[in-house]
Amino acid sequence: MDRETRDMLLETADRFFAERCGRAVVTEVEKGVWPADLWKEIEEMGLPLIAVPEDKSGVGGTLADMLAVLRLAGSHAVPVPLAETALANLLIATAGGEPKAGPATLALGNLTLSGGRVSGKVERVPFASVADRFVTVVGNTLAVVAAGNAKIDDKPSHAGEPYGTATFDNVAAEFSGASPVGADRALELAAVMRAMQMAGAADKILATTVEYCKQRVQFGRPISTFQAIQHMLAELASYVAATIASAEAAARDADEGGLVDGGRFSIAAAKSQASDFAQRIAAISHQSMGAMGFTHEHILHHYTRRLWVWRRDFGSETFWGDKIGAACAKAGPEALWASLSASKYAA
Amino acid sequence: MSIPKLEFPPFHLPAEAEALRGEVRSFLKETLPKVKTEDRFASWNTFSPEFSRALGKKGWIGITWPKQYGGSERSFLDRYVITEELLGNSAPAGAHWVADRQSGPLLLRFGSEGQRQAILPRITAGECYFSIGMSEPDSGSDLASVRTRAEPVPGGFRVNGTKVWTSGAHRNNYCIALVRTSGQHGDRHKGLSQILVDLKTPGVTIRPIINLAGRHDWNEVTFTDAFIPESCLIGNEGDGWLQVTSELAFERSGPERFMQNFYILRELVRVLGRQPAKRASSILGRLIARLWTLRQMSVAVAGMMQGGKSPAIEAALVKDLGTIYQQDLPEIARAIAESDATTDEDLADFLDVAQYATMMAPSYTVQGGTTQVLRGIVARGLGLR
Repeated sequence: MDRETRDMLLETADRFFAERCGRAVVTEVEKGVWPADLWKEIEEMGLPLIAVPEDKSGVGGTLADMLAVLRLAGSHAVPVPLAETALANLLIATAGGEPKAGPATLALGNLTLSGGRVSGKVERVPFASVADRFVTVVGNTLAVVAAGNAKIDDKPSHAGEPYGTATFDNVAAEFSGASPVGADRALELAAVMRAMQMAGAADKILATTVEYCKQRVQFGRPISTFQAIQHMLAELASYVAATIASAEAAARDADEGGLVDGGRFSIAAAKSQASDFAQRIAAISHQSMGAMGFTHEHILHHYTRRLWVWRRDFGSETFWGDKIGAACAKAGPEALWASLSASKYAA
Repeated sequence: MSIPKLEFPPFHLPAEAEALRGEVRSFLKETLPKVKTEDRFASWNTFSPEFSRALGKKGWIGITWPKQYGGSERSFLDRYVITEELLGNSAPAGAHWVADRQSGPLLLRFGSEGQRQAILPRITAGECYFSIGMSEPDSGSDLASVRTRAEPVPGGFRVNGTKVWTSGAHRNNYCIALVRTSGQHGDRHKGLSQILVDLKTPGVTIRPIINLAGRHDWNEVTFTDAFIPESCLIGNEGDGWLQVTSELAFERSGPERFMQNFYILRELVRVLGRQPAKRASSILGRLIARLWTLRQMSVAVAGMMQGGKSPAIEAALVKDLGTIYQQDLPEIARAIAESDATTDEDLADFLDVAQYATMMAPSYTVQGGTTQVLRGIVARGLGLR
């Protein structure tokens, strides 16, 4: 979509998330309540179909459009699988399938697919217990498994979202198709998706912390006027800036380079970077907000806990660091600068 | 929320700049092996007139400046590419560095026609080198407190005072000094001016200040009744503060803030060999990801500047993150080298190189605005002061 349309969509979505994803909703989800109305409204806005082509009843946006919306969703801790469903639908459409309504999730891991039947186990599947269907890519085949055919062992994430272990015991896929997006690539796309959500959360943490410090009065003045606090917040801003800049660069490269293999180096670097600084961001924001930020009553934890969960999702800094490190070591020292300046793995 | 949004819009260096990158790379590949330097791994503080003249011959110093002064009127982004190629390939760019980056642009902006004609073509030829005369024994981060006084006398100024940490003054041609030309010490920003000082001027004495790594980069430059002709005043009398602050803002976010010790990362890749264990490769990859991010941020800031914006806070953030990355780099590198180097011999050598880098590292977060000064700038941008 053109810049103006996207900006309008983002503005509408921002207002919608602000109104409908307040603390109460996020907290209810942690208690195991599925916010059916919220999901319905999100579907009415077309967000889960944002990157699905119009001829498949989608919105016809690009990968970049989708990632921009998901960054925004990250900045509101939207407690439903919008990101997972949007990417799942894009992958289904790309593999020749028809996306359906309802929440979906990604079961990316070591599964096998034989004669249209899926077997294996994937840990830490986001929103496993509320998803209507599971999307996986095995080799170069995409398979969709209905929720009824998956065995779910609930293991809520540390952010209180309904994650779980999904086991598939030689179950029939409701759809399978040749996928231009291979298994490794599906993981990369999920990684850039999370990196953008992390950028959104990081942004919100900075804004929340700065606002709090401007209002919190101690020793007769707002603590934001103390140089010690100012320097902490400036340092926080630097980590937030790095998270935003790396995620945005990876989103751009993934989009421009094409869905099948665009921005591989950039995605690995961005997810490594975002995951690497998640703890620094959480640590400084909590230190700045003292006891208040450590309570369930304040919203800060909705964001810091998500950063801690998301840094592990779809490859941590260790996982992606290894991808980059191994590739750069293999290419040797003299190829390093060329790789960095081209944002590409050396051939 | 009322805080300004931090944005680093991803930016592509244009095709001309990328084409220039190829030319610069071939030039460096051919030239660098022939240039002898004092540093095993050269960077922007390695002095080599031989190299600077060769670069000048290619037209790659002062590349953005008007043709009438020896420039090529190419874009700021072309310059960006040259800068990062020099750093990425460990070129000894120290002789012309300050003149190209800071002093030349200052003269172009505020200097007289005579100053420009006399000096800029010599800079672009790679023959004329500059020092920065800002700091004094009692004026570091608090630059407005400078005491060096240039007293107006017939035909010019009589200068008395002392500048310190003056990089390269012992071998450069000129120094641009921030001095008090009117008013009293304590008047702060008022009454300061910048003057162009030929370092051979009688009454100017230069004494080495050796740093902890044993290098002679810095000097103390003492003015004792030194006569500086009126024609060497840069800009208007009393505008020194305005000029100096715009000079400090020149490319705070440039690649030199995160690539000064790039060689550590490259040599780390060398000692780890082609197939490091996962622990080593993951830590290496995380370092590479941090550097990649800094480059994305720096290029984004360059793009914003090219687009006519002045992203001061974003630029300060790049320097803050970049210099701290440069301090972390040798320390993290020595830990993984020690566990994962392929040979003992490579390891011993690398640990020496890394230790040297660590000894140089305190300077990164001091030069060009300390971390604490930068964080003050960012805090102001966040609306905290």
